[in-house]
Amino acid sequence: MPIFDGLGSGGEKTAIVIDLGAAYTKCGFAGETGPRFIIPSEIRKPGQQQATKVVQYNINTEELYAILKEFIHILYFRHLLVNPRDRRVVIIESILCPSHFRETLTKVFFKQFEVPSVLFAPSHLMAIMTLGINSALVMDCGYTETLVLPIYECTPILPAWEALPLGGKAIHKELDGFLVEQCSVDTDTTTGQSVPAVIGAIPEETVEDIKVRTCFVSDLQRGLQIQEAKFNLEGTAERPAPPPDVDYPLDGEKILHVKGSIRDSVMEILFEQDNEEKSVASMILDALVKCPIDTRKVLSENLVVIGGTAMLPGFLHRLLAEIRLLVEKPKYSDVLASKNFRIHSPPAKPSCTAWLGGAIFGALQDILGSRSVSRDHYNQTGRIPDWCCLSSPPPESFYEAGKTPPPLMKRAYSMEK
Amino acid sequence: MHAESFFFCCCLWKCVCVRRRSTVASLLRRRCANCFDCPCCMHTLSTRATNIPAPLADDPTKTTMKKAYYLACGFCRWTSRDVGMADKSVASGGWQEPENPHAQRISKLIEYYQQLAHREKQERDRKKMARRRQCMPLAFSQHTIHVVEKYGLGTRLQRQRPGAPISALAGLSLKEGEDQKEITIEPAQALDEVEPLPEDCYTRPISLPEVTTLRQRLLQPDFQPAGASQLHPRHKHLLMKRSLRCRKCEHNLSKPEFNPTSIKFKIQLVAVSYIPEVRIMSIPNLRHTKESQVLLTLTNPVENVTHVTLAACEEEDPDDVNSTAKVLVPSKELVLAGKDAAAEYDELAEPQDFQDDPDIVAFRKSNKIGFFIKVIPQKEDDSDVTVTFRMRHDFRNLTAPVRPSEDGGDAAPEAIWLTHHVELRLGPLAP
Repeated sequence: MPIFDGLGSGGEKTAIVIDLGAAYTKCGFAGETGPRFIIPSEIRKPGQQQATKVVQYNINTEELYAILKEFIHILYFRHLLVNPRDRRVVIIESILCPSHFRETLTKVFFKQFEVPSVLFAPSHLMAIMTLGINSALVMDCGYTETLVLPIYECTPILPAWEALPLGGKAIHKELDGFLVEQCSVDTDTTTGQSVPAVIGAIPEETVEDIKVRTCFVSDLQRGLQIQEAKFNLEGTAERPAPPPDVDYPLDGEKILHVKGSIRDSVMEILFEQDNEEKSVASMILDALVKCPIDTRKVLSENLVVIGGTAMLPGFLHRLLAEIRLLVEKPKYSDVLASKNFRIHSPPAKPSCTAWLGGAIFGALQDILGSRSVSRDHYNQTGRIPDWCCLSSPPPESFYEAGKTPPPLMKRAYSMEK
Repeated sequence: MHAESFFFCCCLWKCVCVRRRSTVASLLRRRCANCFDCPCCMHTLSTRATNIPAPLADDPTKTTMKKAYYLACGFCRWTSRDVGMADKSVASGGWQEPENPHAQRISKLIEYYQQLAHREKQERDRKKMARRRQCMPLAFSQHTIHVVEKYGLGTRLQRQRPGAPISALAGLSLKEGEDQKEITIEPAQALDEVEPLPEDCYTRPISLPEVTTLRQRLLQPDFQPAGASQLHPRHKHLLMKRSLRCRKCEHNLSKPEFNPTSIKFKIQLVAVSYIPEVRIMSIPNLRHTKESQVLLTLTNPVENVTHVTLAACEEEDPDDVNSTAKVLVPSKELVLAGKDAAAEYDELAEPQDFQDDPDIVAFRKSNKIGFFIKVIPQKEDDSDVTVTFRMRHDFRNLTAPVRPSEDGGDAAPEAIWLTHHVELRLGPLAP
């Protein structure tokens, strides 16, 4: 850890960078090499056993406000240990984040914690800041969904976005189904019990832990064989030999026998093509097709994959292989001229890459202030600017309305030589 | 709330107030410099010592017992030797947290972008300077086109409003020859191939204790190791003591003490020390609809004379929820002497003459008086008889700064009359 991380250049205190993900929140200080804390995005209300998820889009504003307030309070006073009033905030967000959530989050920051300013940074854009390049095709494999957004010369090509709800959540659901159907539990008295009989539903934390510790993504050949065996109705296709079983200890004396065949096949849902022939790999090609022709070569040679789900062992290798396989299909090969795909490895773990980009941006104290929404501006307009909302006026015309002419005509004569 | 001081709950090293910018590294990291957390179970690690034979510096053939220290967890039996950390010869200060391998690259990136940011700031300042020259002709002249071309960035930069979709620092690529000292950065190289899974992944049985759980991994965000043999301990995270301020008047309500061993109660504006206290002294047998006299005492906590007026609750009083009896309170104003700390020692003090009505005031003793109220229980059930009335007294805020009055002398603080709702539970009816 750098020693002088409290002193920023220019005398301002370092900003806080928060990446509020659906499953985990990464928070820390700008200018550092990694987040200080990665904590689950949930809060525990007293008296309730089940934790409440923080990132929910379908609840009403008051509840969301209360949940966010509690969560940000924990972030500040349990983990970061700073005074909220002193430091600017950089929030890494997904561009598909609903406006309602964004506005409530801003309100919590400005009204409750009185931070000096807030900056919403798109996660895909921040990811390329960690690489020192200007264009890339960024794929964020997160919890709720996988989102692909191409960035060309530091500008997101918004019309070419692609999203699929294939993320950690879908994997957990699939894995949970397999575990309940196929696996058995040993307690201290009995063996071979079915899972629902012994413990009812498996908590999602446990499913996640099983996924992280025992499952992996098979390579292309094996994966295709597994898929064939699954969908094959006649039963002629055989799946390759499964990896060994694992005995996973649940709390107490119970042991869950995780079948080996689950370990390599549960991740196939990411690559199985559904009825619309969409999978995590095809999204990249679909996004490429939507991009302007002259950008495609640069984008295909600069793939960046971020997000927690991309950390699964074998994921990147399989992804590249799938893309190379799919691009041969007539749907794509007729349209895409370059079939050269290369992938970057950012200087951080995929789950923290977007955070790192935000931290690098947050360290630029010269411009962080001018690019953020300040508390005064928010108090005057009551709104935070959004890319999808056309009614946000630029602040220059807001403050000096009627006095200055429109920008184009302003600088008529300059003394600069 | 202010996050001002940090509590070293692990070793009580110190409880430091960070008001100014402190350069003590452990405070900036918000972690204790001495104590570590076990990476497996997150308990505090303790340092253990063993004696190992080590060769003497002068004479390599002779060996002497030297102390070697290692970290161990008392709860889950993890030791620093499990991850290959060598034993240290000093008890504290020897263990370092591993450094992120990408740290250098990241600092280079930051330097490069800071340069671009600096240019953007200069452009912005130049723009602001130009805007102020309002007397310039507004017509779109030939010169404008030159200006726009020279900067090469044109209107896109001018439209950089906060909150708009960020186009990062796009148009600000460094121009040729414009800066003497350019920091360039090597753009990252993309790879053609990614390392595949090892072959034995499909056949090797895994032993779960050697694989880290997600929680353990996330405790070290920079590394997130999958193998338990790479879990390094981290410095223990601090807790924070919070000082609370009132939002309206910025008055400090509670402030943490520097040294945890000397804690003094610091809250000054406690209500108990300003509001006269009502206590029940004696209750006769209470009978339904029969009037009885209850003896109450009123104690004055402040040092000046206080005047108290009691009044029965109004009909529609919203606070009056529980009263089950009618009450007749004395209508005259009661005067309480100031609290005199030296009164008990000074026997020759002149008793102040207050002209008490013996029907109302039973006794008077320094700052305390006893007085009667008449209670008529109205309900016949088993619940306690409750009476309510309102107490009005004068309050002088002696802690507020006294503004010098216009005639030069110190004006006494203004008396503010406060009214409180008092509720007394007198116990059940006599059988």
